[in-house]
Amino acid sequence: MALSTVNLGATGFSFDWAGIGNFQAVLASKDAWEALGNTAVFILATMIGSIVAGLILALLVNRAVVMLPIARNVLIWPAVVAPVVVSLIWLLILSPTAGGLNKLLETFGLSGQAWLDTGPGAMLSLIAVDIWHWTPVVFLFIYTALQSISEELLEAARMDGASERQILQRVILPLLAPAIGAVALVRVVMGVKVFDEMYLLTSGGPNGATTLVSQRIQLWFFQDLNYGEAAAFSILVVTITIAILLLALFTRSRMAGRS
Amino acid sequence: MSIKLKSRRPNIIVEILLIAVLIAVIAPIAWVTLLAFLPNRAIVSSSWEFPFWVGNYADIFAGGTLFLQLLNSVGIVIGTVFICLVIGSISGYSLAKLSPPSWVKIPALVLAGVIPLLPPATLVPGLYVLLDNVGLLGTVPGLILVNSLFNLPFAVLLMSNYFSTLPNELREAALVDGAHEMRTFWLIMLPLVRPGLAATGVFVGIMAWNEFLMGLTLTSGGETAPITVGIAGFLQQYAVTWGQLAAAGTIAAIPMILLAVFANRHIVAGLTAGSVKG
Repeated sequence: MALSTVNLGATGFSFDWAGIGNFQAVLASKDAWEALGNTAVFILATMIGSIVAGLILALLVNRAVVMLPIARNVLIWPAVVAPVVVSLIWLLILSPTAGGLNKLLETFGLSGQAWLDTGPGAMLSLIAVDIWHWTPVVFLFIYTALQSISEELLEAARMDGASERQILQRVILPLLAPAIGAVALVRVVMGVKVFDEMYLLTSGGPNGATTLVSQRIQLWFFQDLNYGEAAAFSILVVTITIAILLLALFTRSRMAGRS
Repeated sequence: MSIKLKSRRPNIIVEILLIAVLIAVIAPIAWVTLLAFLPNRAIVSSSWEFPFWVGNYADIFAGGTLFLQLLNSVGIVIGTVFICLVIGSISGYSLAKLSPPSWVKIPALVLAGVIPLLPPATLVPGLYVLLDNVGLLGTVPGLILVNSLFNLPFAVLLMSNYFSTLPNELREAALVDGAHEMRTFWLIMLPLVRPGLAATGVFVGIMAWNEFLMGLTLTSGGETAPITVGIAGFLQQYAVTWGQLAAAGTIAAIPMILLAVFANRHIVAGLTAGSVKG
């Protein structure tokens, strides 16, 4: 489809060969670049945010005693809730008219904000929502890795007089590095795929400030009925994703080879 | 979990921080559940009032569309889980135990590795035309096939993981005793990976229930759509009735959270499958 001019006729789809014309059109399109840029910002912020949060949570749960059983159960709840419902939940919190957050702020004498109506505000809100939604997965990855670190090793470090802080920095974090690397890749892939939250919370707006690649494709395909360009952009996005992942895997194996 | 933790004394700061985190996790969910039982007047009012009301649920089910969408979703979940368990366990078993030739194995693994990497939106154009050509556009069977496509790689790899933990001697012993390959699989091997079946089924079920993009783009909405699309419909009507929105949200969310409470082990197994080895 990417190589054709596709038209929806009475009998279905018709294809006319268009060569690389669709790719040229996509690369010349400002919308495409904006979507790629937004996606990059979103992925970087949510990846770092959820890894930091997930790491802290994993360390906390690993030290917990009383709260351990409850925490291990409750902490995965956000991950099983549908993205659609997560969007809805946060709309009910962030909305200027019915939102719980503004109501809470006003109760404390602060003024409410129109969280989703400015470009940066909308993007920040989406990033916060995404971190709330997917930190559980990061937490599980890191927590599983944390549990496999043997207690004898930590005991030995303690015997040698290392402080808890040194143990964390010199022993635990390096041992967690492979798990953190793996989950970072998972989060990149999730970031490329994200669609529902933008579609529902901000409709990609205001002024395209939160239009990510998935929504760009959906808009071209279903709103502008620009099938060829949507398909061309799809292929472009997939190619970029695979290239980045291969690069990451390559770097990782190089680093693993050296150490 | 491990014995080493039992010897520890509780650290008060850790416990308090965790309670704070748990509140941050539960509060948004609790807020929506609360709104679901409030009339609109109380929700938009600037003071805090909580008159208990169940009218939202009566309103969203009036007309019957949402109920049909609920049925569609249940159908999609059952179909997808069934296909993924059947194909997933058979292919997982073959990959783990029957040492297939590499011209089968390598393409299968590459496909299974690549499909989860693709943003589903990039496949929408192709799938739309494909389903249109076979006449399954906007049908529950069509969505079952599409959901299976996205979840099968995961199902196969997870089942293959579970099968590879079983000793090879088991299969050989059964074959020596005269059981067919199929009988060995069905009567000996499959019952032993029941935890794997549960983890795969629960996980695939959650994914299929929560799926939105395909339901949105590959149906014409209304009575053919899954419930996630129905809920999104409430979100986009401009005369937003917040209480109904919240009520619709709880219908999709509460079953999953109950699952998370009672099938926690299986979900954790699914979420972390094959992770650390990376």
